[in-house]
Amino acid sequence: MTDQLAALTTIFTEFYYWVTVVLMFLIHVGFCMYEVGASRYKHHQHTLMKNTMLIPLVTVTWFLFGWWIYWAFPTGPGLAPSIMNESTALITDDSAFSAKFYVATSQLMAVNLGDHISGVFWAAFLLFSWTAASIVSGAIIERITTFAFGILAIAIGSVFWVIDAAWGWHFDGWMLKLLGYHDAYASGVIHAIAGGFALGVLMVLGPRIGKFSSSGEPRNIGPRNPWLVTIGLFLIYTGFWGFYAACNIPIFDLGPEYGMEGISYWTATNIYVTPTTLSGITFNFLMSLSGGLLAGYWIAKGDPFWTYSSGLAGIICASAGNDLYHPIQAMIIGMIGVVISYKLHYWVERKFKIDDAVGAVAVHGYAGFIGLVICGFVLNGYPASGYSVGAMWDGTTYASINPLGQFLGALIMFVVLGLIPGYVIAKVLNGIGKLRIPREVEIAGLDYEIMETAKSDEKAVASATR
Amino acid sequence: MATVTNWIDHLNKPAEEVAGAVYPGAGSSEGILVILAIILWVGWHVLTSKSESDELERLARKRHGPNDHKSNITDW
Repeated sequence: MTDQLAALTTIFTEFYYWVTVVLMFLIHVGFCMYEVGASRYKHHQHTLMKNTMLIPLVTVTWFLFGWWIYWAFPTGPGLAPSIMNESTALITDDSAFSAKFYVATSQLMAVNLGDHISGVFWAAFLLFSWTAASIVSGAIIERITTFAFGILAIAIGSVFWVIDAAWGWHFDGWMLKLLGYHDAYASGVIHAIAGGFALGVLMVLGPRIGKFSSSGEPRNIGPRNPWLVTIGLFLIYTGFWGFYAACNIPIFDLGPEYGMEGISYWTATNIYVTPTTLSGITFNFLMSLSGGLLAGYWIAKGDPFWTYSSGLAGIICASAGNDLYHPIQAMIIGMIGVVISYKLHYWVERKFKIDDAVGAVAVHGYAGFIGLVICGFVLNGYPASGYSVGAMWDGTTYASINPLGQFLGALIMFVVLGLIPGYVIAKVLNGIGKLRIPREVEIAGLDYEIMETAKSDEKAVASATR
Repeated sequence: MATVTNWIDHLNKPAEEVAGAVYPGAGSSEGILVILAIILWVGWHVLTSKSESDELERLARKRHGPNDHKSNITDW
């Protein structure tokens, strides 16, 4: 960097993403606290370790191949040509944002004085990966093996969500071009896919022992430590601020980017490089949170567990279009999402005997799906990208946002890249006997031996005189 | 409903038009949205107040003692 303005812009952007990563770390702290608070005493430590160990498992695979997938797969491959090289193949050539720069052996994947952004952008996306895996983690507590969860966490965190991000989040993604897909703050790209993936796993994993009576009636296994759940969910809310900020580009000149001669327009943009403001999304974040809390408190009759979760579901439902909604639209969409998700959760639980321990499928999966569909109606006609606007299915230009495109996009996120892979991988793990812990261990508690050892040691310590 | 249908066309407008509201229905829907918000806000108070009163009355009718709640504590 040789001039002050370029240096200021670059280092501001670098620091901006770095701060979002620190904030998003709180999401994982929150998920850990929330899961431990929701699990029974005899499973606490294993529950905590399961969610903690996804950090290194996903991080290392994200470094080795996850980040590469994001930059290689926007074209499908084979579905729509890249605007960088006009090819539908994987983007691995010399294009400006080619995946070849993001293989683990690349010099850009390390300290490099010529690149201030790759590391912090990589980390921001990595934290999204942790979130995707953590969403799945909560649903399956108290009966899955840590090994199986590790495989599932890598699958959702370093493979499937990244493919959907390349398709529906990358500025060159085929879903933007063919479907007019729009999902600014990841209703589908993170939440619907992770919820769908969790549901696929749950279908194979089965419920916790005792969850359903012999006649099939569901029993409530409420949170064992509501205070930990409370702090956990507040931390997730807090981390979500970082998540929203990380989905934006903080400062960008759109005039030259769009090929507009003589026009300079500096702004923050969303992930699709279309204009928005941090100020505007702050309105919408808080109003959709409020809509979710209001609807959750009402529909769950003041149940704290569901009310807090509904705040999150409200944000998730409005997230697809929170770069453009009016705050009151965001609030109403949050409310609608919460009511439908809550009802769906109990209907699916009763009808299909699905035991989603923390309501993750509802809060993330259903709310994300509904949010995408609503976005198609409310933002109908807005351009999915700034680069060009064309007809749906055209492929060479970008379609406008529309209800059908958003609905198909929601299906791709929830079912194609979420539920089906989750189900298939769980089936394979179950087939080799590695998915579920033994029945006897589930009854005794995963932490039985840890607790037993601690008890005898503590007795000895208590009676020790020297 | 869409306020912007092409970002390049939008950014080519005079500066004062570019730097304006871009949400759906800008300039025509704000009043309706505020009325809707007020209805929902008042409706929420009415619904939750009724629900809370019903719950409190039901609990009061059972006339539990000051230590009865202890038998409901699950610690496992």
